[in-house]
Amino acid sequence: MRFNEKELISLSRQPSERAAELGMRGPKKGDVVKRRLVKLVVNFLFYFRTDEEEPQGALLLEQCRVEREDSLAFSITFLDEAERKYLFECDSQEQCQEWIDSIIKASYEFMRKNLIFYRTEIHRLTGKDPLEQYGIEDETRFQVTSGLHLMPKDI
Amino acid sequence: MKIHEKILTHYLSCTSPIDKEGYLYKKKERTSSYQRRWFVLKANLLFYQERPADRHLLGVIVLEGCAVQRCESEGGLFAFSMVFRGSGLKTYGLAAEDQLGQESWVKALLTASHCYLSLLVRDLGKQYEEAKRQAGPAESHQRTTVTGPGSMCLTQSMTYLNSCSSSFLMPGPARREGGSHSASNVLQAPPIPSKVINKRSPKHWPKRNAHVTPINGPAPPYGEWPQVDFDPLEDFTKLHDYYGEEVKQLRADWLRRRQEEEEHLEEDLIDLSEH
Repeated sequence: MRFNEKELISLSRQPSERAAELGMRGPKKGDVVKRRLVKLVVNFLFYFRTDEEEPQGALLLEQCRVEREDSLAFSITFLDEAERKYLFECDSQEQCQEWIDSIIKASYEFMRKNLIFYRTEIHRLTGKDPLEQYGIEDETRFQVTSGLHLMPKDI
Repeated sequence: MKIHEKILTHYLSCTSPIDKEGYLYKKKERTSSYQRRWFVLKANLLFYQERPADRHLLGVIVLEGCAVQRCESEGGLFAFSMVFRGSGLKTYGLAAEDQLGQESWVKALLTASHCYLSLLVRDLGKQYEEAKRQAGPAESHQRTTVTGPGSMCLTQSMTYLNSCSSSFLMPGPARREGGSHSASNVLQAPPIPSKVINKRSPKHWPKRNAHVTPINGPAPPYGEWPQVDFDPLEDFTKLHDYYGEEVKQLRADWLRRRQEEEEHLEEDLIDLSEH
């Protein structure tokens, strides 16, 4: 499958939400922990070999499960398969928790849910759909999933 | 660089909603011929394959850091491009079969980036806090009405628009102008911030939402109105007005074009060879 590699690499060079050198272990049997520069940019987790400019890989942080493994480590599981579980080792408990929170919040789907919540609530409280002012109320991606159509409140 | 294809394809096929899908023509690289492809937009990812039923994905385009730009009609197709900012980065040439398709795809692609959604969520979060505060104790007495888009905001954003250069969203001198804005057709997703995303707690965000104006109270002091020179990334309202203007412009152009329409020579733009 083709992808816009150069553009993704360029993205990986942008200022990130969170970046640190962590211990990283791949999902396969026999994979060992290696030091990697791990960088969270939008909903991608890039990881670099510590002396390299170009990322070794990019993990899309959607449809994945982030879990605390022990006091210093967390894991990300993709496709609900144990064979796709990546382990990350941090330097402190606090750092570990911060990474977990950041990764969860970086997911596009997570942000979409928040948006829908705010949209619904603002409408309930004010009678107005906040997306109308931006002309994006009909965009599929912002639809309230229950299928309820937001009607203006009678004043 | 490894992209972990299976993770992407899994995301594509999972239950979360598809944001847009349909046939578009994609320009073959380094040529000017188009190939018809089935595109699926989900989050900030644009997947494409030959046909809807195909299992095999041809490719994916990650939509961060690109500007969506309408192009001149080519042989009856309504073209637009995705221009990635940065030296050596690609420009994807796409085209829809009709104006409506072009308009709706451009709009969908403009609102697709993670960056955009992040700003929108932040903005709505502020509006939500404000709405909660206002709906608070004395809801029956204080009838605060929410102003519409607001002539104030729109004018401010128009002056902002007028001062935009074609490549970057830059603040400029305030000019009160209705009418047509800069001829630029370039629409930018915001540049990725040069500083880490603002992580101040909501309590510390300045109250700058001019959309919620209490009718029975005094006008907010100057400091609370949106400033003209601001970082576009910090105020989603203006970013959005900017996009909104482009969509309006698209529509105006379409109406004009319909009136002026002449027949085009038909060229065989569809290349049936392998991509």
